[in-house]
Amino acid sequence: MCDIYTRRKKLKRAAITLAFVLPALAPLALFWIYPALSAGYISLTDWDYMAPSYNITGMTNYVKLLTSGEFIQALQKTLTFCFFSAGFTVGGGLALASLLRRAFRGSGFFKALFFSPWITPTVAVSLVWVWIFDPQNGAANAILRFFDLPALKWIASSQTAMLSVIIVTVWKSVGYSMIFYINALDKVPKTLYEAASLDNASAWKKFTKITLPCISPTTFFLCVVSVINGVQAYDQIQILTQGGPSGSTRTLLYLYYQLGFERFNMGRASALAIVLLLITVALSIAQNYVSKRFVYY
Amino acid sequence: MRRNLYSRPLFALKLAVLVAIGIVMAFPFVWMALSALKTKQELLDFSVFFPKDAQWGNYAEVLLRSPIPRYIANSVFVAAVTVAYQMFSGALLVYAVVFMEFRFRRVIFAVVLGCYMVPGAATYIPSYILLSKMGLLDSYTGLIVSNLVSIFGVFLLRQAFMQVPPELYDAARMDGAGHWKTLWRVIFPLTRPMFISFALIAFITCYNNYMWPSLITNSPELSLVSQGLRHFFIEGGAYGTNWAVVMAASTLVTAPLLIMSLLIQKRFIAGIGADTGVKG
Repeated sequence: MCDIYTRRKKLKRAAITLAFVLPALAPLALFWIYPALSAGYISLTDWDYMAPSYNITGMTNYVKLLTSGEFIQALQKTLTFCFFSAGFTVGGGLALASLLRRAFRGSGFFKALFFSPWITPTVAVSLVWVWIFDPQNGAANAILRFFDLPALKWIASSQTAMLSVIIVTVWKSVGYSMIFYINALDKVPKTLYEAASLDNASAWKKFTKITLPCISPTTFFLCVVSVINGVQAYDQIQILTQGGPSGSTRTLLYLYYQLGFERFNMGRASALAIVLLLITVALSIAQNYVSKRFVYY
Repeated sequence: MRRNLYSRPLFALKLAVLVAIGIVMAFPFVWMALSALKTKQELLDFSVFFPKDAQWGNYAEVLLRSPIPRYIANSVFVAAVTVAYQMFSGALLVYAVVFMEFRFRRVIFAVVLGCYMVPGAATYIPSYILLSKMGLLDSYTGLIVSNLVSIFGVFLLRQAFMQVPPELYDAARMDGAGHWKTLWRVIFPLTRPMFISFALIAFITCYNNYMWPSLITNSPELSLVSQGLRHFFIEGGAYGTNWAVVMAASTLVTAPLLIMSLLIQKRFIAGIGADTGVKG
């Protein structure tokens, strides 16, 4: 019963569907899906980019990578960086949102001001921070001296370089989490607060027993996003410290850059890329899972 | 009578805290713009907050005698082309996934979702090799071609499209409108705000983009702003950096975005607030 007419119609429909889907899927397949798979393959080889041939070396790259001092150090730095930058970004965002949740004349200005670092080019603003952190003539030390505090070497010392990078990162992203929190605080049912007021609950109690649980999905989301951003941070590190001094700000991603594009150890770099991929996927899945389970209303 | 709920001293305290934080947050921007107007002596002396005699020549030098305007134009051009295509391909894809019925629509969306989790860096080496095989390294084509899909934008549009009442879609189809016409004449006008948010966010992301463009382009005249700015900074040398001029360049690169953020803050925030999967 399959006459030519319905067949042609089916074909036409398939063609239209393809025409709608391919303009996005083709580039996606070419520059996202294929490269991600290909990175997995390259990670099993000893290819150095220059040589025309290479050998399959199995898990060697992973074993060498995971046991190298460089990797362990970079992993530690990544954890430190993610923990503090995400912590202050999320905590600071909540604090700012709490201050701004109730609109008043001028609150829009503050929102825009706190948010603006997030959309400015990281490279441009990092250059200002290099100047601010300048040990001799920078503003940061001038301010410390003004308060009679000892001057720091900031990005020039392995003791304080990580601190400097974290400051820049938090400054840049705190407004972003503020926006999400303002949204979330707005959605907490007012009746809960009214009920608590009837019971004479203190402001602190209301915050910990009503606000925090109600906004916990946002908190979790922001933690995951901030950690993922931390894992992928490159621009500010490249401008401020280039991973130094002596590896003190070299995160996994920065190590990836050095392995792949400075030392051309494509196999090792790809192995690291796969490790990064696994970390990000694990975090995203956790985020998805938690946001589906813990919805309070 | 809200005022009773919210006492004046408390409000004053809150305002004071906000102003203090505001000063800290604004400081880098202010410092950037002011440093650009200072003489060498003034730069070395922190007690000089405002320059005595504003050195507008620093801005003039960047505008007239440096490659910075060229870099800005490069970024604007690449971002405009990229974003235009990203919106076009994103709209078609999301329209198909939301409204058209075909067998793999769920699979397709799952794949796109999966790509959202892949860190860009994981794709850099193979993409680099691919571009080099295609002979597109160090070219605008390579930059644009490798960035044709905004997965974030797909999420934004999907959210908007799903809120369009299905009856409107059905009505358009009943009237004999093809998919193309339905998308651009019916769906697009209804979801225009989200398209605008998409355009803004994608444009800014593209304009600011640094790591990938700096890996695949070498020629200075092709640099986007971020890479160009870094180049401009490095050329000055680690010592004897002419900070006033570097700051003038940074200010000129940043200012358009800052003005944009103040003007269109709300629209921008609406786009971000609609980010994926946040239920809280």
